[in-house]
Amino acid sequence: MSDTHHAPQFDYQPALPIPNGKAFMWLFLSTEIMFFAGLIGTYIVLRFGAVAWPSTHDVHLAEIWGATNTFVLICSSVTVVLALEAAKKNNASGAKGWMLLTFLLGLVFLGIKMYEYNAKFSHGIYPQLPHSLIYEKPDVYYAQGVRTKLMKHKAELENKTDKTEEDTQKLGVVDDLLRQVDAAEVALRNEPDSLAGRIKIYELADRIYPRASVHEHRPDASHATHESSPFQLVAAQHESAHNGGHLVGLNDKYPWLELPIMIPGGNMWASTYFLLTGFHALHVVVGLIAFVFLLSMTLDRAAYGTIENVGLYWHFVDLVWIFLFPLLYLF
Amino acid sequence: MDIPVSLALPVLTAACGYWILKKNMSTHTHDTHTNDAHSHEDAHHDNVRLFLGVFLALCVLTTMSFLTYFDFWRNHVPTEVSRAFMMAVSCTKAMLVIMFFMHLKWEANWKWVLTVPASIMSALLILALVPDVGLRMRNASHERMKYAAEVPADEEAAHAEDHKPSAPHNEQPAAKNKAA
Repeated sequence: MSDTHHAPQFDYQPALPIPNGKAFMWLFLSTEIMFFAGLIGTYIVLRFGAVAWPSTHDVHLAEIWGATNTFVLICSSVTVVLALEAAKKNNASGAKGWMLLTFLLGLVFLGIKMYEYNAKFSHGIYPQLPHSLIYEKPDVYYAQGVRTKLMKHKAELENKTDKTEEDTQKLGVVDDLLRQVDAAEVALRNEPDSLAGRIKIYELADRIYPRASVHEHRPDASHATHESSPFQLVAAQHESAHNGGHLVGLNDKYPWLELPIMIPGGNMWASTYFLLTGFHALHVVVGLIAFVFLLSMTLDRAAYGTIENVGLYWHFVDLVWIFLFPLLYLF
Repeated sequence: MDIPVSLALPVLTAACGYWILKKNMSTHTHDTHTNDAHSHEDAHHDNVRLFLGVFLALCVLTTMSFLTYFDFWRNHVPTEVSRAFMMAVSCTKAMLVIMFFMHLKWEANWKWVLTVPASIMSALLILALVPDVGLRMRNASHERMKYAAEVPADEEAAHAEDHKPSAPHNEQPAAKNKAA
């Protein structure tokens, strides 16, 4: 009477010969592939469909930081793999060391990203109003924007009860700029068909925010010609000749001015740049949270599966950046 | 001058890939040869060496795409070529990460079940966007030109023609005809 002998043997047959966690992670990653393919595809359409697109130095994007971040993420991918190898060998302290290094590298990535974002924000390049100072064209709306800002400064300075020497100087700068806006608008009104007024506004925009692409990466040149346009530009006097490939305009010389800036295609650039890098940075943050959980565990052979899953996710984050770096910084 | 430069780097990439593949193959034969417990340590060391090799290749590839930033490259290689080159480098890097760091090279056949559908979906999505790129790249509609920030060089002639002060206004501008 041995029921046990004849009891049917039901072997559990998983659909995929891998742990459920890993299967889930791969399913999740395949949805993530589609998510980022959509974002990157849209970026490509918008970027190559755009009539104008700013060059990287027009918008204070430094290629060297993008390359550094690529290197940081590649290093962190290697340290995750080494942590996994250590866990396979049941070397818990080694695995924890590599994992800690990965976490720190992730922090370095985010730190560089924050520094890069700050370089944009400090120049009034935001993806949306009310912070964004970007105008697309040197037209009457741009002149109006500059005038509104200048009038605001003027009213504030004149209403001050105890004016200092500095305030008087600021007032001089504002009045001087207001005269230039007036001259441009008068030219536009009197001769609407001639280019003179538009050239004046263009030159004003160039003094406020000189674009590197217009000045052909030669910051020392005080006279530069835009190749495909009849505009002869006279750049602002540059205090420091070379500022990381960026030119010094009135907004840099007088940071309190915060005048509207003219970057053709700048709004679309800001929207796509901040959306793509923002979603990627969000994924990095999620990865860092996962690393914190891992660091609170014992990373021996039993934790192999968990480390592998987090590692897969982290490699995917690295993978996305591998494509974002050339597309955003070098194209 | 531009042809040797643009040829030399893909060749370098291929050499790197070959080197890694060769290294990996030696690891693989090592694994199948010795299944006893003593070889465990050796296999681990080989794995680490392989990962470091992949890491070096990734660094070299990153440097290669960064080369396109320098003036020398820009002056000698057409933009389209360097864009294609950068994408090729990125795909190579992605393959290295997926195959070795994500262990897909050593996984069983289930890997195709998950990666192939996702790749097909992504490819379809990109293909669906291609007409948009194709139609919008060279020509813009009259409506878009009116509000465009800057007139692209290609269209400037047509645009000027359209806005001749003396000529009567043309309802079908040249730019639009080209796009249609």
